[in-house]
Amino acid sequence: MNQTFEVLGFLLIVLTLLMQWEAYVTGVIFLFALSSFIVALFLVLLGLSRPGQNYLLFVLAGLTLTIRGLIIPIIMNKALHRLYEKPWRVREDKPAMGVGGSILVSLALIVLGYFIYQNSLYEVLKIRSGSVPFALFLQASLLIISRRHAYIQMIGFLMVENSVVMLSGWVFSGLPFIVEAGAILDLLGLVVVSSLIIRVRENAILQEGEGFESELRG
Amino acid sequence: MQQQLPYLLPLFCSLGGATLCAIPILYMERIVSVISSHLAFFAAVYILFRPDCNQGFLHVDGLSKLMLLTIAMVYISTVVYSLAYLKHIRNPLFQSRLYYFLLNVFASTMFFSVSMDNLGLVWVGIEATTVSSALLVATENDQVTVESAWRYVIIVSTGLVISLIATTFIFGSAGTLSLRDLFHRHPSNRVYLIGALLGLIGFGTKAGIFPMHTWLPDVHGKAPSPVSAIFSGVLLPVALYAMARVIQADPVATVRIFALVLGILTVLTAALMMTVQTNYKRMFAYSSMENMGMILIGFSLGGAGILGAVIIIIAHGLAKSAVFFLTGDILGTYHTTDMDRTGGLLRRLPVTACAFFLAAMAVTGAPPFAIFAGEIFIFSALIAHYGWLLALIVMGFLAIAFIAVNFRTGKMIFTGEPAGDRERPHIETLVPAINLALSLVSLLFIPYIQQVLQKLPVS
Repeated sequence: MNQTFEVLGFLLIVLTLLMQWEAYVTGVIFLFALSSFIVALFLVLLGLSRPGQNYLLFVLAGLTLTIRGLIIPIIMNKALHRLYEKPWRVREDKPAMGVGGSILVSLALIVLGYFIYQNSLYEVLKIRSGSVPFALFLQASLLIISRRHAYIQMIGFLMVENSVVMLSGWVFSGLPFIVEAGAILDLLGLVVVSSLIIRVRENAILQEGEGFESELRG
Repeated sequence: MQQQLPYLLPLFCSLGGATLCAIPILYMERIVSVISSHLAFFAAVYILFRPDCNQGFLHVDGLSKLMLLTIAMVYISTVVYSLAYLKHIRNPLFQSRLYYFLLNVFASTMFFSVSMDNLGLVWVGIEATTVSSALLVATENDQVTVESAWRYVIIVSTGLVISLIATTFIFGSAGTLSLRDLFHRHPSNRVYLIGALLGLIGFGTKAGIFPMHTWLPDVHGKAPSPVSAIFSGVLLPVALYAMARVIQADPVATVRIFALVLGILTVLTAALMMTVQTNYKRMFAYSSMENMGMILIGFSLGGAGILGAVIIIIAHGLAKSAVFFLTGDILGTYHTTDMDRTGGLLRRLPVTACAFFLAAMAVTGAPPFAIFAGEIFIFSALIAHYGWLLALIVMGFLAIAFIAVNFRTGKMIFTGEPAGDRERPHIETLVPAINLALSLVSLLFIPYIQQVLQKLPVS
């Protein structure tokens, strides 16, 4: 089973690398939905490998699939449709870091995650590929920093959350169900609220341009 | 379960208030919010006199009880002040019904966070405060306000993910997230230690602790004054409450020293940033950051430090909410947050000016306000643990903060020409005046606070 987890973990890393490469917002949302499906699959497999607690893990997988994999991408797509005439053409125009640079940094972060894990936690945990969730966390954080489009930053944050689910299930024995379920509901609330804020923000930027920096300095 | 119900009363009152806000009757949301906030306050006072509760999902000890009371006091004043303040907002993002609904939900998430026994549920509660308060920040609906709301969401949520990772580490190594179990079982392995350290960084993001504090001045500077008041008065301390619990769960030297260093760096950064501010709301945001730094130093030291930290939480909650209510009054009159364009305050708004002067003194730790007493307790613990030199360094930065704030507010009050005629005292000034008086009176309750806190594991 461990090898299957490793494959799923590396698939998630590849999807995050693709997100760094993808310029269109709808493409990034689709990649996020795909990564949530993988996380749900991971939770199902985890449930199968731990017969004692599989019931709750299956419920959690169902919640992940429904909320992270379907509802959140649908909410974000709908918000894009409300905001833009041609939502499929909305793209990151001014990334804080170029695509090539961000992919290189992303690869470097995978190596960094591995070294941090090997030198700090491996001795205690003894899980060979435990660095995968850490690498995923660092990559997703980079997505937030390297992009300026609010929707892509939001996806970066959601990917960070996905990495925590992987971390808690794979490296540790998972969090209590009530905490995981609470976290997913919080996430849903956050996406709804953020979609509203992003819509108002993007509308303001489209109409007035970005003239707020001086007021939010110091 | 029946024994636990009284401890959930503040939560039920505020949630009930939020639900009733949905009834479409004129002024319903205002009446309901005033009633529910008062009921929550009476429930918090009632809980104060009940024994500690350590059953089921609840962990309500002395610290939780005092937090519940502080939240309830600031909640009441925010609701009452909002009744007058919302009229000043020209282009609100949503109707007042939604504003009061979110305010009530926001209060209930804070009540939830300080009552739970499970560290994971404390995290869920604190994350829920972000969900319920993000739109409140954007109430004024201009580009800068919405941008600051977005920064708040993305920075705080990402920071809180670090504390979720910390929770995972703690659960993975201790096998439990129950606070009462963690207080007695301190696993001495590296994973648990890393979990505690990450917890301090993660929850510190929400508390405005260095280095993840960058959202704080943006939000406090641009949010409506009642929202800035409740953020500064109780939201930051609720996140600090989680940090205090993490320190209690792993009270080893590494965690305590790490918290102490973060606290000192926070005081240092805030004091230096205060000297270069031109926006009075941002300046008071940095003042909140400085106070949070002092509270964290207190929690990291234990003993008298904890007593000092809790005194500051209560007194700062009342005094800082008073400051932000008064800034709302000033903003409503001058229509600017630029200190250079807010001169002659004493001549234009004499009552507000006097209250503002006293409130600025209170939040910067001037005697006889209770924050001064809290700082004395923290310094006595700091000197006992680390000697005079470190204490003198921290005192030096507090002095810089004191001079920066009081010099600038003094300039606003006593110098410059007012841009209009003298105005009659505004009725809403009564709310900050009451909070300020309570902040002063809280000094008398220090022996009682000490008694309530005596049973804490690391007191």
